[in-house]
Amino acid sequence: MVYKTVKKEAPGRGEVDILAETYEAGIPAGEEVGRWRQKMESRDEKLKYLKSGERYWYSDDWFGSEKRKNPA
Amino acid sequence: MPEEKPAKSIDQATQELIEKANKEGVNTAFDRAESLKPCPIGAAGSCCKHCGMGPCRVPLPKGKEETPEEKQKRRGVCGATAETIAARNFIRMVAGGASAHSDHGRGVAELFLAVAKGKAPGYEIKDEQKLLQLALDWDIEIGDRSNNEIAVDIGEKALAEFGKQEGELITLRKAPLKRQELWRQQGVAPRGIDREIVEIMHRTHIGVDQDYVNLLKQGVRAAIGDGWGGSMIATELQDILFGTPAPILGKANLGVLKEKEVNIIIHGHEPLLSEMIVAAAAESEMLELAKSKDAEGINLSGMCCTANEILMRHGVPIAGNFLQQELAIVTGAVDAMVVDVQCIMQSIQTVAECYHTKIITTAAKAKIPGATHIEFNEHDAMKSAREIVKTAIENFPNRKGNIMIPDHQCDQIAGFSHETINYLLGGMFRASYRPLNDNIINGRIRGVAGVVGCNNARVKHNEAHIVMVKELIKNDVLVITTGCNAIACAEAGLMVPEAASKYAGEGLAEVCETVGIPPVLHMGSCVDNSRILIAATAMVKDGGLGDDISDLPVAGAAPEWMSEKAISIGQYFVASGVYTVFGVTWPTEGSKEVTEFLFKDMEKLYGGMWDFQPDPVRAAQLMIAHIDSKRKALGIDQARERVLYDMEMRRELEG
Ligand code: SF4
Repeated sequence: MVYKTVKKEAPGRGEVDILAETYEAGIPAGEEVGRWRQKMESRDEKLKYLKSGERYWYSDDWFGSEKRKNPA
Repeated sequence: MPEEKPAKSIDQATQELIEKANKEGVNTAFDRAESLKPCPIGAAGSCCKHCGMGPCRVPLPKGKEETPEEKQKRRGVCGATAETIAARNFIRMVAGGASAHSDHGRGVAELFLAVAKGKAPGYEIKDEQKLLQLALDWDIEIGDRSNNEIAVDIGEKALAEFGKQEGELITLRKAPLKRQELWRQQGVAPRGIDREIVEIMHRTHIGVDQDYVNLLKQGVRAAIGDGWGGSMIATELQDILFGTPAPILGKANLGVLKEKEVNIIIHGHEPLLSEMIVAAAAESEMLELAKSKDAEGINLSGMCCTANEILMRHGVPIAGNFLQQELAIVTGAVDAMVVDVQCIMQSIQTVAECYHTKIITTAAKAKIPGATHIEFNEHDAMKSAREIVKTAIENFPNRKGNIMIPDHQCDQIAGFSHETINYLLGGMFRASYRPLNDNIINGRIRGVAGVVGCNNARVKHNEAHIVMVKELIKNDVLVITTGCNAIACAEAGLMVPEAASKYAGEGLAEVCETVGIPPVLHMGSCVDNSRILIAATAMVKDGGLGDDISDLPVAGAAPEWMSEKAISIGQYFVASGVYTVFGVTWPTEGSKEVTEFLFKDMEKLYGGMWDFQPDPVRAAQLMIAHIDSKRKALGIDQARERVLYDMEMRRELEG
């Protein structure tokens, strides 16, 4: 992939080349573009995702900031 | 030279149609707001009409401090003080708002159960994962059971939450643990959704609860039952039935109407029937009928929160927000406006009579004299939907010729449910709020603001929304939005990724550009404010930003609020620990004590508090100051030395 760059002033380093935006400007085509949930097919896959992706509520061993506390 | 009147909207399409309405002698909310001034006593919450001895008006004396003797005398006939009266009025607004959201939730739960039992043909469970999620939330067995079997249990449990008499709402479990404990300690964990609303009506009856602190406490309990109860149930079950929103492209503003097609606007709040209308309008039989009437097609668009619902799930364009409903008809190109409940102006029927538009009411609980009523029947929804689409098509030849569709519309990307934000930030294998929290900690993102709420004809349409949101994103505050604010932001072009480089501060723009998201994220309709609560909870649970929502550098606002629903939303934001500022007018100004309690004392009890500031820039600054104070408390206020990675360094890193 060819990255787009822009020139910016960096403290003590003068003008440097930095990474510009990485998204494609404009409107992506197609209805299906954002449909990420449909990628999961089986029930097992969906439950597995809940345990990892939504672990804040559904993982047995990972409560984020609440891990350190006594679960109420 | 005649003095030029100030514009009534910042939106060009709206201005053009106000002008058309004026020329054609059509009276709209913009005119009525000018000729009908609000009663200053009622606006300040100092008028009680809860019994036949009143109404009793107890205004705060103007321009002087009141003496203790004067204050003693400032009472209703029954002896109710100005504090009691202001608090009663305030929590009755909460009751109105909470009942609207929750009755919506009940309607969804009833349909959901009918679908699960196979009694609502045309509907199906579209999001199995969300179904499983709710089963986990509510301890419902999954095993090898079919989706419908699980759904029957979920539907029954959901419906029971409305009439539950004791214990606490099952949905509270989603909140941060510390917040749940705090609600229990304060005695405000709702027992049942309906019960808390009924109790407000009882307590505010003459001669019942006459302690403003105790009254306001019940307002908190009912509001939590809205945000964490009725609204949350509505959102969750709608996601299961119609799909959890994912990024989707759409357009917004009155320019989405099409002159040569049959225009049907779906207006209101519940997506139950509108989902079916979307399907019916795509049927070939309907398209053929439209063609037989010399129309080139059928063009669906949405208005208010129904618009947000069908945009989030189908990309159906949005014609406008609350104050644009009459103006849509003024285009002369709307063949039918289909309405269900909430925020529907009765005057759309009067405006429709000046053109050819058919107003179609669909809810048994919301009729308008003169309108056509085609009732939504969940057991045969497709039949109602087809009848509606047909009525619109048949009305197409009746257009009167005075058509003017403003040439203004904007692109937008919507569909930012909590689930989608989590996925976008972390990806399929480690969906996470970590990148958001990290960027808040490192200061690229200063904080997050939920800007929501209505339009209000007392102020320039969309102005406070856009001025506030621009001020926030300029200061690196990521904005999440719902309702009419979301529509205003879409109309102003703030909901495309490009808006980040144009309007956002450097830090926020950098994050938005990396993730490919707009600086203003559309989270849905007004019941979807529950998504904001879940997103805030995910931020807490991810860690690094405290243990409760009240620790987060976040704030809430409704700069153009007008509905009771907004008051209920504000009250549950505050009860969840969020500093929340409203614009336009403040409904308890008639009592210093009540206002002081809401603005200051609530913070000691709930970690969040109300504020009022009609100037949107100053209001945004108050939110930013609050966010900064939370950053300070978290110890993340020190600006970190930011290293600007140039391409050379980046390559080294990658190597
Ligand atoms: S309840 Fe009291 S304050 Fe209210 S109208 Fe009746 S007498 Fe007046």
